[in-house]
Amino acid sequence: MGNYVVRRLLQAIPLMFIVSIVLFALVNLTPGALAGRGQSRHLRPEQVAILRRQFGLDQPLVMRYIYWLVGNDWTKVDTNGDGIKDSPGQGKGILRGDFGLSYRTRKPVIDSIRIYLKNTVYLMSVTLLVVAIIAIPVGVLTAVKQYSVFDIVVTTLSFIGQAIPEFWLGLILILIFYVWLKNPLTGEPLLPAGGMYTLGIGFSLIDWTKHLLLPVTMGVVGWVTWYSRFLRSSMLDVIHQDYVRTARAKGLKERNVLFKHALRNALLPLVTIFALDLPYIFAGSLYVEILFSWPGMGRLYYQAALDRDYPLLMAILTFGTVVVILSNLLADIVYARLDPRIHYE
Amino acid sequence: MNEKTKCGTILTILLLMGILTSGCAKGTATPLVEQPITVTTETTAPTVAPQKSQIVFVIAEDPASFNATIADAGYDSLVMKLVMLGLTGLDLDGNAYPVLAAELPTVENGDVVLDEENGTMDVTWKLRQDIQWSDGTPVTAEDVVFTYNALTDPEYGFWIQGLDYIDGVDKVDDYTAVVHYNTIYPGYTTQFGGEQIVIWPAHYCDATQGFIYWDCSTKPLSDGPYTLKEWVLGDHMTFERNTNYYEQGKPTIDEVVVRIIPDETVRKQMLINGDADLDMWTTESMIAELQNQPNVEVNFSPYTRWVMRIFFNLAAKGTTDPAATPHPIVSDVRVRRAIRMAIDVDTIAKEFFLGYAQPTWTEFFRPPYNTCDIPKPVYDPQAAAALLEEAGWTDQDGDGVRECNGCETAEKGYKMEMEFITYGEYGEPLINTQQLIAEELGNIGIKLNLTVVEGSILWAASTDGGIEQSGNFDIDIWDDGYFGNDPTDFLWGYYYSEAAIPDYGYNYGRYINPQIDELINQAYTLDEGVRKDVFCQVAKILDDDLPQLLLFTAIDANTHSTRLQGVQSNPNDIVTWNVADWTLK
Repeated sequence: MGNYVVRRLLQAIPLMFIVSIVLFALVNLTPGALAGRGQSRHLRPEQVAILRRQFGLDQPLVMRYIYWLVGNDWTKVDTNGDGIKDSPGQGKGILRGDFGLSYRTRKPVIDSIRIYLKNTVYLMSVTLLVVAIIAIPVGVLTAVKQYSVFDIVVTTLSFIGQAIPEFWLGLILILIFYVWLKNPLTGEPLLPAGGMYTLGIGFSLIDWTKHLLLPVTMGVVGWVTWYSRFLRSSMLDVIHQDYVRTARAKGLKERNVLFKHALRNALLPLVTIFALDLPYIFAGSLYVEILFSWPGMGRLYYQAALDRDYPLLMAILTFGTVVVILSNLLADIVYARLDPRIHYE
Repeated sequence: MNEKTKCGTILTILLLMGILTSGCAKGTATPLVEQPITVTTETTAPTVAPQKSQIVFVIAEDPASFNATIADAGYDSLVMKLVMLGLTGLDLDGNAYPVLAAELPTVENGDVVLDEENGTMDVTWKLRQDIQWSDGTPVTAEDVVFTYNALTDPEYGFWIQGLDYIDGVDKVDDYTAVVHYNTIYPGYTTQFGGEQIVIWPAHYCDATQGFIYWDCSTKPLSDGPYTLKEWVLGDHMTFERNTNYYEQGKPTIDEVVVRIIPDETVRKQMLINGDADLDMWTTESMIAELQNQPNVEVNFSPYTRWVMRIFFNLAAKGTTDPAATPHPIVSDVRVRRAIRMAIDVDTIAKEFFLGYAQPTWTEFFRPPYNTCDIPKPVYDPQAAAALLEEAGWTDQDGDGVRECNGCETAEKGYKMEMEFITYGEYGEPLINTQQLIAEELGNIGIKLNLTVVEGSILWAASTDGGIEQSGNFDIDIWDDGYFGNDPTDFLWGYYYSEAAIPDYGYNYGRYINPQIDELINQAYTLDEGVRKDVFCQVAKILDDDLPQLLLFTAIDANTHSTRLQGVQSNPNDIVTWNVADWTLK
């Protein structure tokens, strides 16, 4: 297994390289650099030339990619626009952890990512945890009690849950819990409309939990319905297998049959899908973050795209690529650990 | 009830109690936060906690920095006005008033000295001597010179209007600086003031970092009414009263919190619920929803500077020389006039902008130069069709689209079909406007293919694929206008022949008229009589030539809570321009 992991990691390097080239080309060929929101419509050509030079946009695409990758401090650049490369560059390149300066803020993009990433991981981890807590028992029960009233109700709700547009659901949640329902003791809205915490009161577990309730609910609905339906289907396949019948014939308790024999096998495909969904923990959910004013990666990416903030966009996309590749690897490893039939040579 | 059900019930009750009691305890959902501050006296006796007054702004996204000069998203200006001052400000009528300056320099008071022979002038700025930065350092002429030097740094500076006309800025004494102009520049009063320019502290900002990069733009030192206390990126900014602020007794509100709330619906609801005190740039549809809310008041500018306008590309699409490659359709002024007659501006204003848009047909529609007699265009589709016939555009094949049959600008049979572009960020009213105009022009035989792009693509430099600068359009519609009281630079940027060079100005339609060039040159004078006369001549020529078709001004409105007093939307500045005067009811 160790060799396999090392081999996969080595294989990921050329893959990352290829993906980064494609992403860099796509992002940098998008028109509108230095004219995104927040940039002046009324820049003079001299100013545009200076900015293009400072951000390296005056270089051919290939050189821009090389500088982005390995920096330009090993060579000289033209800093004053006289056509003579006379000063050493300042960039270290992403391989040395320098993702460059944001076009919009003129500050290192890694600083923004660091702040927004932790907020997203916090929100999405809780969301996925709640998804797992709800979806697994619901999936098992609907399979075990196939065609029961419970199954029919859950199935109906699942279809509704999948059909509801996420953004609309968020608005409805705000309408109910922020606009309509009031705390009878204080007259204030029952739940806050957004943000991560109430300003000025310090840390309060209840306050932080209240701020999580609506965004987590909005994020959970779609995933719960998807995972529970998937697990139901998987469980239905498994519980009709011979080894489950054998387990029952041996006189095992039904709970043991279901959770030790059936569920473990039914979870195999689900674990794979769950691992592949892991990047969402880092990518965040745009709608949830916009509607509930949550400063996360989804919002940061969206703003960067609107701002044509190429360095920030590339940093987020590169980070996302790494997470996707690692998640795939994790899925394979976990699958092998759970299923003894799988061996990686 | 079995054990499981009991447990569930108890848990539910506990959860509900938790939510209810926590709401009880915090008491901070309302904007006015009563934060108890423990004051320790010599006798250590407990004292009554003073109440801090607080207001909450809700805005869609973080400002990039406090340097609104390098970004014009509006949020930068909003927060910049809380903490920093310029030499002057602009009032509702576009008149400059002194802020850091002790008085406005004028020819009459001897602070503006003209050299008529050489066409130059010197402007002496005398600063107030009672203004300090929040660290106690006085604001001096050194800061003015420092700001100018930072702006003009060849590598890290930033161009602002009028900068080309300055040969240098000298410090005369601690509180006096002289700006040497190499021309007569009527816009000198807002050279280092107005909406986007402030004076930066020489002793605090690191000049070696450069104007567009320096750290003091994100951690500003204040000489304005507030100081930055905290900035949590993506979440909120907290400002507290600057105890060194020069106006005695101001500001009266202790804290300003700026919360980042991206969704407009949520911002609206926070205003209604009393959780927010100010939301910028209220849209027409939002005004309709907020009108009957008791806690909320919409405040309008007396007029707005943004004029929705159609740009005609007088050069063929993809080119920038109207003489060598004239546009096959709109280079004929009769076609442009026919288009003007075919658009029902009043209906657009009423239906899509809910009556808040004001029909506008000249650049000189607001004080002090709204003295020219330019008649309002008449909506007359029949006359428009007749004019197209006269120009040689007829529909002989009966497909509803005219062709050139005797026109002067295209080959026979050329279809009257063009691309009509707008930008998406403005929202639904503009998209609807674009569609209605296309329909109305379709009715007179002009086929428009609609395109909606992002503003960044529309306005980018030609080297970055910008549609306007590279001339890659037929006609398009968007909004712009000049701020302050001096339209001269704006006219130069949009109508001067030199400004038609790609990336050099904003004369996107490539309108070349030597007469206009000459008149704009004449407008660079301090003689108000001459300027008014020149601008009226410009207005008449533009009305005849129609290089741009001005349609209407949309609203400039901001919404605030009724408890917040003193908010006044200003067409020449951001809403926080007079934040020091705001009070709480």
